[in-house]
Amino acid sequence: MKPLEHITEEIRSMSSRCRHYAMCKIDFLETGLCPPAKETPYVSFFPQGRMDICDALARGLIPVTKTLVEIISSCTLCGRCDKQCHFVTGMRPMAVMQALKAFVAAFEKDGGKIKIIPEDETLDALKHITGSKWATNDPAHLVTYSNDPFPLAKRQMPGYVVLPGSADELVEIVRYADQLDIPVMVRGNGGSVFGFVFTHGIVIDVNRMKHIELDHENWTAIIEPGVTSFELQKAVTEHGFRVNTAEPAATVCGNIVCTGLFSTWANAYGVGADHFVDMTFTDLHGEIFRLNDKNAPNAFGFEEAVLPSPGICTSARIRMHPVTDDEAGVLVPFTSLEQAVSFARDLSIRRIGLSVGILGGHYLSTFISPTAFLAEKTGNVFSDILDIRYMVCVIGDRYARQAIRQMVSCVIAADTFKMLMLGLPRLTGPEWMDIVKGLESDRPAYETVFSQEMLPVLETLLSPAPETLAGAVDEDLREFYTDLYSRPHMTDMVWLNMFRIVSARMSRHKHMFAFLVYVPLDRMDVIHKILASLEKIAQQHGIDHDFGFLTPLDFGKRGILEYDYYIDHTDSRESDKIRLAMADLEPLMDRLSAAHKGVKWLKYIFSQGCARKENFLYT
Amino acid sequence: MDFPNPSYVHIIPGDVNRSDLGLSPEEYLRLASGVDEIIHCASDTSFSEQKRDQVKKANVENLHHLLGFAAKSNCFCFHHISTAYVAGKRRGPCPEAPAETFEYFNVYEETKHRAEKTAANFCRQHGIQLNIYRPSVVYGHSRTGRTLRFNALYYPVKTLLFLKNLYYEDTLHKSGKNAKKMGITFDENGRAHLPIRIETVPESGINLIPVDYFTDAFSAVMQTQKNGGIYHLVSDKNTSIAELIDYSQRYFNISGMQAVCPENMHPGSKNHLELLFERCIKTYKPYMKDERIFENHSTRGVLNTHKISCPEFDYPMFARCMQYALAVNWGNN
Ligand SMILES: Cc1cc2nc3c(=O)[nH]c(=O)nc-3n(C[C@H](O)[C@H](O)[C@H](O)COP(=O)(O)OP(=O)(O)OC[C@H]3O[C@@H](n4cnc5c(N)ncnc54)[C@H](O)[C@@H]3O)c2cc1C
Ligand code: SF4
Repeated sequence: MKPLEHITEEIRSMSSRCRHYAMCKIDFLETGLCPPAKETPYVSFFPQGRMDICDALARGLIPVTKTLVEIISSCTLCGRCDKQCHFVTGMRPMAVMQALKAFVAAFEKDGGKIKIIPEDETLDALKHITGSKWATNDPAHLVTYSNDPFPLAKRQMPGYVVLPGSADELVEIVRYADQLDIPVMVRGNGGSVFGFVFTHGIVIDVNRMKHIELDHENWTAIIEPGVTSFELQKAVTEHGFRVNTAEPAATVCGNIVCTGLFSTWANAYGVGADHFVDMTFTDLHGEIFRLNDKNAPNAFGFEEAVLPSPGICTSARIRMHPVTDDEAGVLVPFTSLEQAVSFARDLSIRRIGLSVGILGGHYLSTFISPTAFLAEKTGNVFSDILDIRYMVCVIGDRYARQAIRQMVSCVIAADTFKMLMLGLPRLTGPEWMDIVKGLESDRPAYETVFSQEMLPVLETLLSPAPETLAGAVDEDLREFYTDLYSRPHMTDMVWLNMFRIVSARMSRHKHMFAFLVYVPLDRMDVIHKILASLEKIAQQHGIDHDFGFLTPLDFGKRGILEYDYYIDHTDSRESDKIRLAMADLEPLMDRLSAAHKGVKWLKYIFSQGCARKENFLYT
Repeated sequence: MDFPNPSYVHIIPGDVNRSDLGLSPEEYLRLASGVDEIIHCASDTSFSEQKRDQVKKANVENLHHLLGFAAKSNCFCFHHISTAYVAGKRRGPCPEAPAETFEYFNVYEETKHRAEKTAANFCRQHGIQLNIYRPSVVYGHSRTGRTLRFNALYYPVKTLLFLKNLYYEDTLHKSGKNAKKMGITFDENGRAHLPIRIETVPESGINLIPVDYFTDAFSAVMQTQKNGGIYHLVSDKNTSIAELIDYSQRYFNISGMQAVCPENMHPGSKNHLELLFERCIKTYKPYMKDERIFENHSTRGVLNTHKISCPEFDYPMFARCMQYALAVNWGNN
């Protein structure tokens, strides 16, 4: 068998479907990280990078180099990536890793020729700054820093990738590049998936800069730019605090600079400049400044334009928040968006609850289902049979939960949620569905199904247990899932909201192209108009689409709305659809923004994420 | 209905949701010119207030489309299938006459009542005879038990059986603690003890007719009565809740259920299972205490000459219906 024949089309296709959400870069399932990547945190050593390498090899984009062989050979076939990736995307990348190994074995057996990549002066200089291990121009590395699923940008191979170990090294790299006029691009974990982190110059990967220091008295955590949301949240929760984080694999600094970091916790903790007390940057000439310095460039202001970021953040002092020991989550189902918005807004105005988010029925079912098949079935049951079109997910203390019970007629409490999650495969049983369908009640079916009287039936019916849930996944993964879901935090809404390890599941079937818009929460007409426009354009271009979430902000005055388009990023026809859709959408969003106070499209907030929220919410 | 010669039947698919009935203008005209009687039996039988718009559309708005068609055709007699329950919230005799009521137990009753009024006004204005047929609760075929729908009579029984099976499984394969919590036990013969009291009133009962009686009665009236009228296609005898409980218990090997008067059922005294069952069958609750008595003088006159009478809803009949329901897994097979 020829070496490349080991990479079958099926294997290549799977590897090209990696979403680049970098979930394999965090130890979110406590399996431990991919062992070689832990030692050498170039993207190329992570399962994500290995997937890219596999695709690139099959397409003849990269030669076989010593580094390539080293990367592939370092895989221990431990299987951790299979578990991590399955949890998020349903894919089983072990087959890719095996194929890569078979490729190398066949290549060596065939006496294949290893290509030598010549080093140059720039590489020498970079290695001089960081140590020889941490700068490279080898295509096996470079290719894993050359693209993401963003459909509107072409692959861009960098000249060099460098992993500084400290802020000093990072600044030195920037100064060096500035002298030679080489473009630099800083990369957190590339999870923006918006074509942002690519250059033909030098990519600075901050993954070696992961120091965290807590300043308890000042309620802050001082972090380096490689610290991810997951890692920071983990570190601060160990000391009884919480930080506001969003996607777990996103670097906190990168996320703040890039989007202003919004999440359902934004209801209580805000967005943009609300997250930090101070941030240290280097500009692209290597000039260092702190945002708190009165002479620093004003990153707190906002301008409605596509602007570059203030520079590269080398450290941030992130705000920590108190946590009470009686926090728990509740879900409040609704049949219409109006009802859900009105309720969420009311909570925000009254300051009831901390994290508040309106989720579409399908969003929730996707989050709590371990497989796409179950997610789809559950989503249909939620919306078509239980009448749940929207859920407001609230995390609050006992007083908040008491208040909520008085405000609405149906609440799915934490223990019911746990029951539902662990018994999900049995929720869709036909006899039970028949009974629910026949209820013919004057009220939505969820009110009966989640009523006090019905809970004992649900419990008996669902047989909630880790084994029940694990029954939904491939047989060889059942033991792992049983063990995983035996851990209480896996069914705890508070933990799940703080660590958000399930949110990337929304892209399980296809890559998600998210539209984010700040909206005036008291203007349901405007919200409807935006949703209707997004829906109409998606329909016109034949793009899968769905409501994502809506979170109230700043005492219910504003909200942040996510609407998702779904595309197969490996299919060029889908990219064309998005391109055409964007041509319709961009002017429309600008018009809506000009016509309605409080409407701001995230496009203009990108890279202005350090701004005070008031500067874009109320201007 | 048994058609003597199927070649007389032409099926033309249409859509009553649309004012043109989903037909092309030519088809519409061709059909209209060849029609002299119309039977309108399309309706939405949902009781759910949530589906009000959908039910209203099906039962009232779509009727306009058919009536419009009737007016443009040679139709001289419009046969409108209604329900005995247009009587609404009423006790005692309900005559075969326009219903005088403003209160209903659900949106189905309300919209069917409105439909009757709509049809009556329209037909009067357009000189079309209107026959209104009011069946009571229709169940399966009296000889085979065959039916297409498993709501109404079937739903509470299906719910009971679901609960029995669910807790049997719990007892047999798990600890049985959930069954115990609900007060459900099983004896050595697998008989389930379901401690459920159902509130009813002594003189009440449900009027049940088999589908074959309905079609026979309907065609007898339709073929002989062309001058307009209202016909109750009902049983002479209501079936009491106590009888239904007895049949269900016998057929499904259950004990512990009883029909009780409201005076003997204090709200605070309801057990878990009673509250649960009540929640499941809430929609049907008014029918458990149904005191409406449907008169059927006009219909009986016609049916007597055709020797058609409504079979009794006794235990063998119940058993036949349930046997069929189980054989087709309540319509899911
Ligand atoms: C499934 C999914 C869900 C998401 N949900 C949310 C959400 O709810 N809320 C939200 O806020 N975002 C969300 N995002 C967007 C994403 O988390 C952010 O774009 C985040 O910035 C990604 O972090 P990263 O470290 O991977 O950044 P990268 O993608 O590496 O970088 C993003 C941008 O920030 C710049 N950057 C990175 N590090 C630094 C630094 N140290 N200094 C200056 N600039 C830097 C990069 O140059 C780039 O322009 C989501 C993304 C995905 C894939
Ligand atoms: S199997 Fe290989 S790529 Fe996957 S986690 Fe283990 S070492 Fe990493």
